[in-house]
Amino acid sequence: MRRLAAALLMLLALAGCAADPAPPPAAFNGTDVMFLQMSLDYIRQGEQVVELAGRRTADPRVRALITELGGQWQGEAGTMRRWLAGWRQPPSADPSAHAGHGDPHSLRAADIAELAAARGADFDRTAVSLLLGHLHNCVEVSRLEAAGGQYPPARALAETMTTHRQTQIQRLLTL
Amino acid sequence: MRRRVTLPLLTIATVGASLFIAVAPASAHGYISSPPSRQANCARGAVANCGDIIYEPQSVEAPKGSTLCNGGGSRFAVLNDNSRNWPAASVGSSVTFNWVLTARHATSTWEYFIGGTRLASFNDGGAQPGATKSHTVGMGGFTGRQTVLARWNIADTINAFYSCVDVNIGGGPTTPPTTPPTTPPTTPPTTPPTQPPAGGTWQAGTAYGVGSVVTYGGASYSCRQAHTALTGWEPPNVPALWARI
Repeated sequence: MRRLAAALLMLLALAGCAADPAPPPAAFNGTDVMFLQMSLDYIRQGEQVVELAGRRTADPRVRALITELGGQWQGEAGTMRRWLAGWRQPPSADPSAHAGHGDPHSLRAADIAELAAARGADFDRTAVSLLLGHLHNCVEVSRLEAAGGQYPPARALAETMTTHRQTQIQRLLTL
Repeated sequence: MRRRVTLPLLTIATVGASLFIAVAPASAHGYISSPPSRQANCARGAVANCGDIIYEPQSVEAPKGSTLCNGGGSRFAVLNDNSRNWPAASVGSSVTFNWVLTARHATSTWEYFIGGTRLASFNDGGAQPGATKSHTVGMGGFTGRQTVLARWNIADTINAFYSCVDVNIGGGPTTPPTTPPTTPPTTPPTTPPTQPPAGGTWQAGTAYGVGSVVTYGGASYSCRQAHTALTGWEPPNVPALWARI
């Protein structure tokens, strides 16, 4: 990353001297940053469901799914934080930038509380419903990155995430 | 030097981020997951070649008042196509519809129709839905194969979200759809999906109710849980769904 940044600086410097003022290609763009930040936010929210359901679900199919999902999220989040740190970007989107955008698509504290209060079959039904909605939101952000991101590894990660989440959505839809 | 020149890059990234927000569709909100709506059947692979709807079953948004399964919008016309073999869930005379919500918007009403008949309307008076949303709706005397159109009317926009759910009311022998809630299909369904007759061969894409009996690999199985069969769910593979008899 550092070498890449240095190369970019060279390009910037060269561009400054040349007649053609076209800016050099950036290693990443805003879509990459937003994808990583929003996905980290989504993972943090989703982990609350995974943690609760891990303790309380009575359905082995739900348990298998959240175990898999939790493991994948952990790996993805590590990669995302590393890239953001390398780009000197904050690990979370500026909440003020997302007022009115991210919020309605997020899991609210009230949703988690409702899940925690649910009992028996209601618990699993609520967990499945919350996870489905949440994973759809995750897929939406991943697909935006795959279409508009610039950093190839981030685009590749987004495609892998879309595939994994879609498979998990399929499984959830049959529970 | 490095720091100073990095700034413009960050600025570019920030500007890009604003663009990202501008282009991010704020369109995704909700659909009926069970009994599976048409978009849910696409998303879970029970119906093939549905197009982009598989990635966003929650995005069937269009102005209020349409009687089309896609809400009359420009996207997702596949949902109006009655010639697709939409699996029909076996249901009783009242059905509990469960919604998956990806954004919990202030709601005016939730409406349910079969053909031109409104079965039910639930008035939320502008409230935001909670973690889950479900309604139990009487089927109004309709029997056999029917398509229920559900509309989630948003309080603070002109739009609604549309979900069509194919059901087989009474669980008996199915009849071809008679009055779909859509404009008449150009190619009428030739082979409506049917409940498998007892002793039929197991088939992916078929909706099975509890007690359905199928044969597979020379053995007979009884369905333990209502579901729509997927490839890989052959009766010997999923004892949770099928009991050998």
